[in-house]
Amino acid sequence: MRSHYLRYALARAAQAVIVILLAYVLTFLVISVLPGDPISNSLHDPQNGLSDAEISQVVAFYGLDKPVIVQLGLALGRFVVGDLGISLQSSLPVAQMIGDALPSTLALAVSALALSLLLAVGIAYGVQNLPGKWAPGLLRSIPSFFLSVPNFVIGLVLIELFAFRLHVFTTIDPNSPAATFFAALTLAIPVSAPLAEVLIANLDQGARQEYVLVARSRGLTQAKLFAKHLVKPSMLPAVAMIALIVGELLGGAVITETIFGRDGIGTVVQKAVTSQDLPLLQAVVSLAAVVFVAVNLAADLVSPLLDPRLELGTIRREPVTA
Amino acid sequence: MTTDLFTGRLRSIPAAGRRVAIAVPPTVLAAVFVVLVVLLWSVVPGIFTSHDPVTGNTGEKLIAPSPAHWFGTDYLGRDVYARIVYGTASSVTSALVAVLIGLIVGSVIGLASGFLGGGVDTILGRVVDVLLAIPGFLLAVVVVSSLGFTTLNAAIATGVSAVAVFARLMRAEVIRTRGSVFVEASYLQGGNRPQALLRHILPNVYPSIVALAVLQFGMSILVIAALAFLGYGDPPPASDWGLLVSSGKNYPTAPWLVYAPALVIVATVLSVNRISTWLRQAR
Repeated sequence: MRSHYLRYALARAAQAVIVILLAYVLTFLVISVLPGDPISNSLHDPQNGLSDAEISQVVAFYGLDKPVIVQLGLALGRFVVGDLGISLQSSLPVAQMIGDALPSTLALAVSALALSLLLAVGIAYGVQNLPGKWAPGLLRSIPSFFLSVPNFVIGLVLIELFAFRLHVFTTIDPNSPAATFFAALTLAIPVSAPLAEVLIANLDQGARQEYVLVARSRGLTQAKLFAKHLVKPSMLPAVAMIALIVGELLGGAVITETIFGRDGIGTVVQKAVTSQDLPLLQAVVSLAAVVFVAVNLAADLVSPLLDPRLELGTIRREPVTA
Repeated sequence: MTTDLFTGRLRSIPAAGRRVAIAVPPTVLAAVFVVLVVLLWSVVPGIFTSHDPVTGNTGEKLIAPSPAHWFGTDYLGRDVYARIVYGTASSVTSALVAVLIGLIVGSVIGLASGFLGGGVDTILGRVVDVLLAIPGFLLAVVVVSSLGFTTLNAAIATGVSAVAVFARLMRAEVIRTRGSVFVEASYLQGGNRPQALLRHILPNVYPSIVALAVLQFGMSILVIAALAFLGYGDPPPASDWGLLVSSGKNYPTAPWLVYAPALVIVATVLSVNRISTWLRQAR
């Protein structure tokens, strides 16, 4: 069993590395088919104030005078050894710019993940345990409502309500704990929706199982029952959703950080797009792919440990339709 | 036929073309009504408002919602309701374009992958993995920044980021149906592969694909609105819903500039999602 798992893990890891490299190539090709020539435009933009010597240095570095395929080879070679290049806009190393922005986004994403779990579990618990028909029914429709509100609207409403009216936080200091909380909430609301849906579906199914009846007849309280016998079996589908969630967090960060004025990876993406800073854009998107694929890999490696019945190597997560 | 392990009930896959009478819940009717209104807005905006969406009356700027201006006016005295109605065509058409791209490209990939199997499946599977490796919204941002900032390009970008989802569902559904007894039976009766595909597999696969397409239509409205919000769509005086929210947020004293288009987006997407859920359940 153990060597079997090891072989499975190695194969999955190798596959992940290949996917990351191909994602880099895809991003590079998409960026390179660009109509016009943004690189030389931004190089010769007097606002950037690059001297002729500096320009020729950048041209030589990226091989801009050579065919696209050579440029791709050069870029891929540097990416593999961890060299992300130089920003055209600020002339700073891209790695440094990303490093500066990372802590802010990390704080945002981790708080958002925690909040979305809380929200999802809270909604699912309410659906199971609230008395009557009306309240659980209302809670049941919350995930689809959360999925229908654009996250820029959530952010603007939260700012309007809690910053401008109730003065709980100010947008002047976007890194204060209160401002971070509301930014994280903006990001967490759409993320919590599919999680809550999966939890509710699993709880509905779990509640009908006989072992739950047995546990209840043994005198377990509703809360203990919920935690021990209903949430645990829902872990596997929740883990399988982690990739979807991380993708949402990374994509949503672009909007959320822009609205709340935070200096994070999302803002870097936005600036890179606006100023057509292609090396920066390429690097950020590739790193997002690395994170995304790594999380996916981790989920695939953990799943067989959570549920030994899963046959190794044949694990294919259900297509995500929500 | 498959046996549901948990209930022991026999669940049959409905034969193609069989119609089942289903009572339509009232919330679905309301959702269909909203979607119809929105579609009409995009086709014949002129019959819903007499105001001009582009030129305003500067003497009437930033007026709160009133009977004369349902959603108030903006900083140039333009009627917000008229701007929303006239912005529908581009907001909704672009979402349709996005879904069509995702649907067609994704279905072809998924179909080839699931039906042909083997090496084709492996190669296409890797292509889908790579498309999935880049978070959807970021992929859309990269594609639109590469193509240029117009609403049509935002739609194409959104479609590209939806290809993988369609491909995965199509592949899974085709594989599920391909192994069914009735497909085996059609081979036994001397049917060939194209026949099995057209007469037995596709008719059984399309309900779930349609439900996904409807769901993706709502998602695409959100993604395109987000791209427009960031300024990656057509520039003003275009009045895409996301752009309206983004320009409205600069006037905190006139909250209707944000809430009116936001309300329309939420109502539309909520309705579309409701229809999609109903389609999936009715299947």
